[in-house]
Amino acid sequence: METLNELMGGFAAAMTWQNLLFAFLGCLLGTIIGVLPGIGPVAGVALLIPLTMNLDATGAIIMLCAIFYGTAYGGTITSVLLNTPGEAASAITTIDGYAMTKIGKAGAALTIAAVGSFVGGTIATLGLVAAAKPLGEMGLLVGPPEFFALMVVGISLLVALAGKSMVKALISGALGLLISMVGIDPVAGAPRFTFGSDNLLDGVSFVAVIVGVFGLSEILSYRKDTSASMVQAPGLRSLLPNRTEWRRSAPAMARGTGIGFGLGLIPGMTGSVSSLLAYGAEKKFSKHRSELGKGAIEGVAGPETANNAHANAALIPLFTLGIPASPTIAVLMGAFLQQGLTPGPTLFTEHSEIAWAIIASLFIGNVLLLLLNVPLVGLWTSILRVPASILTALILLFMVIGAYTINFNVFDVFVMIAFGLLGLGLRHLDIPLAPMVLTLVLGPLMERSLRESLEISQGDFGIFVNRPISVVLIGLGLLIVLSPLLKLRKPKALNEDPET
Amino acid sequence: MAEPRLKGRIAKSVLAGISVFVVVGVYVLVSSIDLGLWTSLGPGPGMFPFAMGVLLVAMSVVWLFQELRNPSETPGGVDGRLVIAVVVSLAVLAAVLDLLGFQLSMFAFLLYHLKVRGRRGWLSSLIIALAGSVGAFYAFNYGLNVSLPTAGIPLLNSIGL
Repeated sequence: METLNELMGGFAAAMTWQNLLFAFLGCLLGTIIGVLPGIGPVAGVALLIPLTMNLDATGAIIMLCAIFYGTAYGGTITSVLLNTPGEAASAITTIDGYAMTKIGKAGAALTIAAVGSFVGGTIATLGLVAAAKPLGEMGLLVGPPEFFALMVVGISLLVALAGKSMVKALISGALGLLISMVGIDPVAGAPRFTFGSDNLLDGVSFVAVIVGVFGLSEILSYRKDTSASMVQAPGLRSLLPNRTEWRRSAPAMARGTGIGFGLGLIPGMTGSVSSLLAYGAEKKFSKHRSELGKGAIEGVAGPETANNAHANAALIPLFTLGIPASPTIAVLMGAFLQQGLTPGPTLFTEHSEIAWAIIASLFIGNVLLLLLNVPLVGLWTSILRVPASILTALILLFMVIGAYTINFNVFDVFVMIAFGLLGLGLRHLDIPLAPMVLTLVLGPLMERSLRESLEISQGDFGIFVNRPISVVLIGLGLLIVLSPLLKLRKPKALNEDPET
Repeated sequence: MAEPRLKGRIAKSVLAGISVFVVVGVYVLVSSIDLGLWTSLGPGPGMFPFAMGVLLVAMSVVWLFQELRNPSETPGGVDGRLVIAVVVSLAVLAAVLDLLGFQLSMFAFLLYHLKVRGRRGWLSSLIIALAGSVGAFYAFNYGLNVSLPTAGIPLLNSIGL
């Protein structure tokens, strides 16, 4: 009952016209990012963080969350119409989605994908509501040692984000941690790696680094024109699926919700894995599995529902434990920190009203996404007709504004350029970028909590094993790190996951 | 785009990358010791960077051995002209942003990318460059209350740039 009251309070706060506008703008921008090939959700969310700098914390996070799950649907549109996924998690949808386009059923595929995304996203958000209170109460028991242990679990996700090479992932992770250590040391107050520059005393700007490493390096590695001049938007009449398609989609959506929700809770699993496994489930359990690959509606409904259920479920570890389950969530966590909010158990004790307003906005955002996406399919596809030279120029414009407005200092634009070149180098050497963003966000929190804990215990490491929550979490982190040795292997899909 | 290199030898770019990581790692190790690894209250400011320096050097050495044993295929080269054009234009923009102000410097930047690099027509280039510079300036300054820089040169500043 108390949870319901708090959720209602959250709805009251989220339904002010300003917050509704932020949710609407977030869905709009997220869908555009999802539609555009080349700008992934990580760079997209980072690029738009500066737009939210002057907003109050609730409005800013509502908008960024909307951008985050908006990208999950935006990627579907190009998968279905162009056979080109706007983001990695929609790649599997190309198989049946594009096949449906070829037989004149693109509209039905897009509508089912939108409805599936709504169903998956809403059910996952209900899961967040259920988990928030019990896990949030843990906040009262969390001191520096427990917080350090949570960060150990978060950092251990490097194993899951390693991609093909653990060595390269560790290099990427070490670089992220080193970058995060530039500036005044949080405990002793000593300047570290500032090279005598006053601009570096406050550290390297998180937004400038992410925009450079993920966004600018993407532009620098462009090789061909990505515009699509031959896109034909489906007419409004063809958007409505028939009764058989609705009936066939329902079980696929149910399976997709279960898979996406379950995997979204597991840190390190990305949306791509959920959509791949959901497609696999359709191949195994669907009554019409023989039609998969030839334009079966289940091939769209299952993966797309799983993708959005995953995106929303992945917010549960962030909100309740402060663990970012994917690189995009890590960027979102960085935005929380910039707004003075620390995601995790303490969020519900220290900023309860903001936390519930954001959760309520997730429900509203899922409805907005449904209302926004289906009728505006024509508009989204027209974005793809904008020539690449114009898109590139406009993206660069936003990058410069984004980097400059963090501290209103051109130094951050130079930081963005430098990290753009670093990102290009890392891409060229096939070094994954995801571990870097994870350690960049979690590194400073981990270092601070470790050193605060040891100050409390006067240098005695026993503080981490004498406290039950801390010892369990550290054990869990070690289990994740050692899982490759214990042959607790991750799914093959994760090794080939483009998001890592 | 160049074809991926055939297996056999370690690619120069991979070797260069490993060397850079080793150099950075060693620099971090040395600097961390100066910062202090341990104090009476536990780890000092240099402890975490020291650990990362060790990890960076160790992983770079392991990577080198992996490459010696089984050289990996590196992707084809990047488009050098694109990289230079984007990076130099961004650096020039950043250098003159406070001097010429956002509107003028961004107008020139966008015009370069649209007209010179993108080979778009004059009319569309001018309209987009104006919207992206003057339009963005007013949208951010008055719509979002985010101040973009005005010109440091008094003459330009006096005419609203």
